[in-house]
Amino acid sequence: MMLVRTLGARLAPLLACLGLLGIWQAAALVLNTDSFPPAMEAIRAIPSILGDKESLINILASLRRMAVGFSLAVAVSIPLGLMMGRSRAVASFFNPLLMVTYPVPKAALMPIIMLWLGVGEIAKILVIFLGVSLPVIYHSFQGAKAVEEKMLWSGAAMGLSAAQRMIRIVLPAALPEILTGCRTGLVLALITMVTSEMIARQSGAGNILFNALDMGQYDTVYAMIIIIGAMGIGLDAMFEKLRSRLVRWSEPGFEIPLSFA
Amino acid sequence: MNARAVTSDVLLGIVPIALLVALWQAIASFGYAPATLLPPPGLVFMRLAQQLLTGTFQQEIGATLFRLFAGFSIAVILGVTVGLAAAASPAVNAVVRPIVRVLAPLPKVALYPALLLLLGFGHESKITLVAADALFPILLSTYYGASMVEQKLIWSAMAAGTPRRQILFKVVLPAAVPSILTGCRIGLVISCIVVFLAEMITSTDGLGHLLVTAARTFQAVDMFVPLITISLLGLILNGLLQGLRSYLLRGFPEV
Repeated sequence: MMLVRTLGARLAPLLACLGLLGIWQAAALVLNTDSFPPAMEAIRAIPSILGDKESLINILASLRRMAVGFSLAVAVSIPLGLMMGRSRAVASFFNPLLMVTYPVPKAALMPIIMLWLGVGEIAKILVIFLGVSLPVIYHSFQGAKAVEEKMLWSGAAMGLSAAQRMIRIVLPAALPEILTGCRTGLVLALITMVTSEMIARQSGAGNILFNALDMGQYDTVYAMIIIIGAMGIGLDAMFEKLRSRLVRWSEPGFEIPLSFA
Repeated sequence: MNARAVTSDVLLGIVPIALLVALWQAIASFGYAPATLLPPPGLVFMRLAQQLLTGTFQQEIGATLFRLFAGFSIAVILGVTVGLAAAASPAVNAVVRPIVRVLAPLPKVALYPALLLLLGFGHESKITLVAADALFPILLSTYYGASMVEQKLIWSAMAAGTPRRQILFKVVLPAAVPSILTGCRIGLVISCIVVFLAEMITSTDGLGHLLVTAARTFQAVDMFVPLITISLLGLILNGLLQGLRSYLLRGFPEV
């Protein structure tokens, strides 16, 4: 019984993928227009994109930029967020600035940053950095704020210095919340990557996608959508694995369904 | 928290913004950056004030706001309904959960070309994109909020004779409201970002389109104006949502 259930849980996302592709295929066959090829055709176009050396290098370069921007953002944002959570002065110093900058689409800064830094790597990494840092700061802030005072007092009573308390008490206690922020950041990094490449139109996965759209190569468009989507799902799954290993202690061991129906 | 502490907090919060503007002014006025790259803040804010009074600029804001609200409302209605259904019924849960796991981490902007081809270049494709992006945070927080409802509350309601189908609306939904509103807040920020991006990619009106046309003609001042406008819009909408939150949650211990 247990085995069947875990097997079912493993297979369910796969079934969902197949189901969605099936719906796509059926809808395309019913609509039957040029601009909406069936799923099979788009899937058939994938090997030719990934087999092409230039586009493969492009896609890998996109991933590298994303990785660099994401790690830099996480490295800066977590300490800042934790400090904001523990010190009221730091929080009220940075909070309004974050509120003002949060709704600004970071990829929309791309044209301005391009004016300053050119269309190179730095501009794109900077945009990804900006996009990822805000959710991570925000969630680290919320996580650090919710740490129980009692634990900090006991830590202080046992002779931990302020810095030690930060690393050994606040960081682990806020970790589940921080990782939620990182997960949002990961999705935002992908979005920012695609759009910044779409705006800069020089290289990368976003560039291939929108160039194909402009040139009317519809099967390439849909194949790139599948590739970028698969990147998102793959990265999310990897992150989820890491997350469940790091913060298994904070999750209930079983789920209780609501019973009233 | 007394009034004095609040004022000092506000004052402290203004400092970095003021510093940023001062730095901007300094870079511009000491000639480190030519005005074509970084126009002085005074010029940008003057231009913003001037633009806000013109009819065409108001129309652009209107177009952006219309798409934002349409997409966001669809996301709220769908997200709350599906989230509640998934929390209440194991059958719905079994179907919805894997689909959400697949669709939630998908970068929706990548779907935009497909939406363009299917729905055309008008409002529909942009509204769909906004709705698709705002949907998942709202759906997930509704689901978590509703499944965290204390069983005691449901039992008490049942013991008090509430019909089973009303429990969903009288107990589960109100108890999940704080979580739903948190999801809405994230969804709102995402809607602001996405509507702007969609307008930047292809559009004939809206704030994003203003930015792109300014960028093509290297009008640095006009590039800053739509960015500041969307930031202000985000702040105002967030404030409205916060107001709604404190109104809806007036009985809750902690807001």
